[in-house]
Amino acid sequence: MFDAALDVIPLAIVAATPLLLAVQGELVVQRSGIINLGIEGMMLAAAMTSVLAAQATKSVAIGFLGGIAGAAVIALLFGLFAIALKADQIVTGTAINLLALGATGFVYRELQQGAIFVQSVPRLQRDFVLPLAWIAIPIVLALFLWNTSTGLRLRACGENPEVLGARVRSHRALALAIEAVLAGIAGAYLALALSSGFAENMTAGRGFIALSIVIFGRWKLKGALLGTAIFGLAAALQYALQASARGVPFHLLLAVPYVVTLLILCGVAGRVRAPESLGK
Amino acid sequence: MTPIVDRRRPAGAPLAEVRVKRAAYAVGAALAAILLLALSGAAFGHSPKELLALLIGGSVGSPFALQGTLLKSVPLLLTGLSVVLAFRAGVWNIGGEGQFIVGALAALVASRYGAVASLLAAMLAGAAWASLASLMRLWRNAPEVLTTILLNFTAIHLLGWCVNGPLREKAAMYPQTDLAAATLPRYGGLALAVLAAIGAWWLLYRTREGLRLRATGFNPDAATWAGVNVRAQLVRAMAVSGAVAGLAGGIELLAVTHRLFERFAAGYGYSGIAVALLAQLHPLATLASAFFFGALVSGAGELQRTANISAAVATFGQAAVILALIGFEHVRRRT
Repeated sequence: MFDAALDVIPLAIVAATPLLLAVQGELVVQRSGIINLGIEGMMLAAAMTSVLAAQATKSVAIGFLGGIAGAAVIALLFGLFAIALKADQIVTGTAINLLALGATGFVYRELQQGAIFVQSVPRLQRDFVLPLAWIAIPIVLALFLWNTSTGLRLRACGENPEVLGARVRSHRALALAIEAVLAGIAGAYLALALSSGFAENMTAGRGFIALSIVIFGRWKLKGALLGTAIFGLAAALQYALQASARGVPFHLLLAVPYVVTLLILCGVAGRVRAPESLGK
Repeated sequence: MTPIVDRRRPAGAPLAEVRVKRAAYAVGAALAAILLLALSGAAFGHSPKELLALLIGGSVGSPFALQGTLLKSVPLLLTGLSVVLAFRAGVWNIGGEGQFIVGALAALVASRYGAVASLLAAMLAGAAWASLASLMRLWRNAPEVLTTILLNFTAIHLLGWCVNGPLREKAAMYPQTDLAAATLPRYGGLALAVLAAIGAWWLLYRTREGLRLRATGFNPDAATWAGVNVRAQLVRAMAVSGAVAGLAGGIELLAVTHRLFERFAAGYGYSGIAVALLAQLHPLATLASAFFFGALVSGAGELQRTANISAAVATFGQAAVILALIGFEHVRRRT
């Protein structure tokens, strides 16, 4: 059992990669004072547009760019309502998720002829995303958030926006743009590396799990990496159980990631301090 | 942060005038969403005219279509009310989907004791499932926005396990349960749901509990100063909200589907958010709002059957309504 878990650790790291990208993106926006529930929808849209772009050009790299573009469209909508119109962020995020779910479902059926979403989708061969997500992006984000004046201002938007006066919106827009890039890569990775194509609602709540891990990690990058790693290990155990298939029913195992996330949220959330102006 | 549905009345404005304005915004948002749907269809080469004709014909165009719309409105009305009660208290219950599912599961198990016991079990289960989230909030400060959503996914897989495992039909042909032992008349659910709307109005506007609930949602600090135990109030609001969503699941099982299967919930829980927001969080307006979305869902079903356009357009329409409402709300605040 334990050996089996060790065997699946590499798989778990790969499987947790889109989650880690999403966690880091959400961490940046939450540091700027925005809760973006719509990250689920951003990833879902990105997964679809990445497959469309990859199919159109037969290039995985352009597929990833297409994913980023798809996430950016959703981010633009979210920003329009939540930043420009100052609407409630949770309501906007929920609407954005419904929008992405409905729109991708609609487009999926419209373009299904020729099975464009599943048949001979180009797949990522040399995985450049994994080291990017686990090493390069965390370093770059840490340098940006804690060692540049823009990063300082961005974080100030999440704590005490009055200090900055009118520039809150532009910093939050910047944070949202960073999140869009990361969520776009995450969605594309989901479709082009972890699966071979797009399926309806394929993100399966990863966005919400990402939000929970941001809280678990106390809005810090180290915490985000640690949280994702713990979640990934729990997932690895689940895979091991599935593979050994002794006694535990498959359908209950499917619920494990969500229960683990609930436990993660309860385990530490008691003692954390959120950015002062989060959600305002 | 400005609430999406700002229910404060401007000083000196007569109530009637405010109500007419609110209704006008809601109708405007609904029309805007339908227009957007038609335009999106046009972008993929469907004629907007034909699309609208199918949408309307399939929802209110014939007595048969109207029946379908009414049946679809019942769960939407109840999940909408569930969201109204939670949001008015300032609790983010996004967990209607999960509460709907556990409600139906409990109703199925309890159905051998009769319809009344079955529905009571549904409400209890919904309340208990929702209370998991409020307990996690109280004990561990875990935000209920996330815990309720995560509990939805948990409930979906719980249902998947039940219909494939312990509750699978005796014949074991399909992943579904046997028929429930009790049934409701087809329109019994509708009557119950309308009663629930009136009951929710009574609770919110004619009882002390309702006043405390609204005060908590309006301004928790002020409510605390006025002697309301805000934490206990949040727990009660969440439980009531969960009970109503659970009831929705129980009624859907006993009156419509009679058995459970994996895709039983069909997004009714999430749709409840759109229903509640279009009704501007008023329980009686929820009647009209649920009917509109019921029509949208059954019209979208017709689109899928006749024109092979995905029924997911109903979900798209719900999102469009919410975003249009936000837009109107912004305009209202500017003027």
